[in-house]
Amino acid sequence: MSELRVEGLAKRFGGLRVFQDINFAMPAGSLLGVIGPNGAGKTTLINVISGRQAPSAGRIVLDGRDITGQPAHAISRLGLARSFQQTNTFKSVSVRENIGRAIRFGQRGMPKGLESLLAEFGLSDRLDEQSDKLPYGLQKMLGLVMAFATGPRVLLLDEPAAGLERAERHHVDLFVQHVRDAGASVLIVEHDMDLIRRMCPRILVLDAGVLLADGPPAEVLARPDVIAAYLGDTEEAA
Amino acid sequence: MSGSLLPRARLLGGAEIAAILVFAACFAVPMMTKSVLVFSVLNQALVGVVAAQSVWIMLRMNLMSFASPAFMAIGGYTVAIAGQYEITNVFLLTAAAFILPALVAIPLGALVLRLRGTYFVLVTFVLSQIMQLLLFETPGLTGGSNGISGIPPVNVLGTDMATNRQVVLFACGIALLATVITACLTRYFKQHFAAIEENEILAESLGLVVWRYKALGFVVAAGIAGLAGFSLVTMLLTAHPSSFDSGTAVDFIAYTIIGGRASILGPVVGTALMVYATNLFGTHGQYAQGLYGVLILVVVLALRGGIVGTVETLVRKLRGAS
Amino acid sequence: MEQFLQAGIIGISLGAQYALLALGFTLIFGILGVVNFSHGGFYMLGGYVAYACVDRLGVPYPVAVLAAVGTTAALGWVFELLLIERLVDDHLATLMLTLGLYLVMSTAMLEVFGPLAMDFRFPITGALRFGPVYAPLENLVVLGICLTAIMGLWLVLFRTDIGRALRALADDRAVAMAQGLRPKLLFPAAFALATGLAGLTGALVTPILSLSPGVADPVLATSFLTVILGGLGSLGGAALAAFIVGIVEAYSSVYFGGSIGALILFVLVLLLLVFRPTGLLGREVRGA
Repeated sequence: MSELRVEGLAKRFGGLRVFQDINFAMPAGSLLGVIGPNGAGKTTLINVISGRQAPSAGRIVLDGRDITGQPAHAISRLGLARSFQQTNTFKSVSVRENIGRAIRFGQRGMPKGLESLLAEFGLSDRLDEQSDKLPYGLQKMLGLVMAFATGPRVLLLDEPAAGLERAERHHVDLFVQHVRDAGASVLIVEHDMDLIRRMCPRILVLDAGVLLADGPPAEVLARPDVIAAYLGDTEEAA
Repeated sequence: MSGSLLPRARLLGGAEIAAILVFAACFAVPMMTKSVLVFSVLNQALVGVVAAQSVWIMLRMNLMSFASPAFMAIGGYTVAIAGQYEITNVFLLTAAAFILPALVAIPLGALVLRLRGTYFVLVTFVLSQIMQLLLFETPGLTGGSNGISGIPPVNVLGTDMATNRQVVLFACGIALLATVITACLTRYFKQHFAAIEENEILAESLGLVVWRYKALGFVVAAGIAGLAGFSLVTMLLTAHPSSFDSGTAVDFIAYTIIGGRASILGPVVGTALMVYATNLFGTHGQYAQGLYGVLILVVVLALRGGIVGTVETLVRKLRGAS
Repeated sequence: MEQFLQAGIIGISLGAQYALLALGFTLIFGILGVVNFSHGGFYMLGGYVAYACVDRLGVPYPVAVLAAVGTTAALGWVFELLLIERLVDDHLATLMLTLGLYLVMSTAMLEVFGPLAMDFRFPITGALRFGPVYAPLENLVVLGICLTAIMGLWLVLFRTDIGRALRALADDRAVAMAQGLRPKLLFPAAFALATGLAGLTGALVTPILSLSPGVADPVLATSFLTVILGGLGSLGGAALAAFIVGIVEAYSSVYFGGSIGALILFVLVLLLLVFRPTGLLGREVRGA
């Protein structure tokens, strides 16, 4: 019964418009993909929804509760977590301490399925290694696991597959599956179109800060305006 | 495994216990010697280390504060003014010297903790400049440029701390108290402070209420600085604006950085060595500043862990090799 | 009325000195993101170099001033290239480096010249008289040189390629570097320009005020005050704020005495820093 609703959301930096008039709703337990060319405003969208940056206009509603303008820690504690595009862990401490901090700061106890997730990523055997000594792909997975360890009901993922080797990308599928098994909904910003097609029953297309399309991938990706705005750009990204 | 992911930290670690033992041991020094020089150096170090701990608490969260002289002034002048009303009870004065600066730090913290990095450095520098000017501009309260002299000795359980030896013992007590408070605070919130130090944005996104810990650190650091001010005016028997010059903040920062910012032993070792070295210059104490400068350059460029961090690394390497 | 005009003249000439100092300070912050704690030290060094040239070598004062500019600029260049450069992205580390340098510099001056004030006099004396108002000639000369230097700096920054490159670096380092600008050359150049300006100010002003190892601290504090007021990194803001600070200081010392004027300025700056960290004319804040 965890619903995220975004109404008329806009963000400007000074005179520069990043996005405007973004409207969508995510029912509980759903999976939503967000695609768009570089600079479309996807990361800023995640920053604004998660409270890292304040919106210029619009409302963000979580479970019927208006969370617009709340600080990032408050939104995290209300059950909305996020991951970062770059690897983002506490680099000087062990994997164990990283996850321990996430559980402690999230204050909702250890979520179901965390241990099996660690085992499947091969992190359970490396709990005492310093996190920045891990291979890039595992650091990135650790970042995802930490967001999950706060026990969220809605999770925003910022390009989880970016920088991963092809063989590692199924980790993202695995992760999203775990999160959904735990009953949380997932919004996933991604350039990897295979991954989006494979996983998301519904996608949003963001172009130059405007919501261009909203629907099932097969339908949306066939639209000429989407192809014009975006698909030319994906050749190199895919 | 759930237990192993959330290890319970012991209340005090090795470094904290070592620091507390150092100051407990200091009580023995005045019993073993009558040397005026030893008393003087030890007393200076005991005042300096308290101020350095105040700086260190904020450095735990990657905030470099130049405000310690301002809070030292509040603590020191509180005691000096109380002395004019013949209040000399040590418990009363200690409580006042800690609580008053801490109270002042609450609204100030709400203002200045919105800033990070170099902006925080600048705003705390400005704070200590303002305090300096305020001391000069409020002669009715603080004696202006004359300061307040003739502070009566502190009274501990019926005994006036009047001799050099007694003053040193009192300074030991203040240093021990400050160390216990600092150790408990930084140890209890170790994970929180370390997370803020390393990656504030990540910590906040995981749900950590960053401002709450920064505010707590700022308020306690102000109280600790107040204790340093108390110890300083007790040593000098006078409260004077020049004792709380914003330039002295540089000394306390130098002690902490040179000693090492990763462990509570850093400010302790740094202060002890720097105060000792300063006294080696004898009457040319001002030359010690050059030594601080060189050591700061060396630590920042080559030995990032400072003295304590470097020794720790060496010990670990030696152990690994054997 | 005479008093009012007199204070105005002092205020403007103070403002011009502060402007030279603040422009250098804000240049370093804007381009490198470094808070330069050694800025007052370079002012002091400029004064001592000029003094040593005049007093020990018997060089004419104008040549001594040039020598001071050259020395401080060269030292700034070397310091940036050898030390700051390695840690330029770590703001607290570079701040500590400049603090360390400052401590070393002031101790070196203390060692060489001793703690007492030097007998260093401005070579021109006398005063111009405009009706009832006196204007000391030395202040007018310094004012003239400062204004010329500010104009010169403005020309360098806005009318030359290196100036355009420096401003591009200050705007957005990543973009500027992607366009092929070379920070390896430009960072030391910016640092040297700034420290040279501080040295110039020191060489000009210390013979009028005083020259001792203690002169650096208040200069640093005033530079902080001015650049925060003007907006860290903003050149126009620094210049405007410098004249405001100079004039406020001059009038408050005439009409209130003591340090009330400084106190008011510092409190104003504290509030500004907290509620508008971009200052009077500043733009986007770096890292705050």
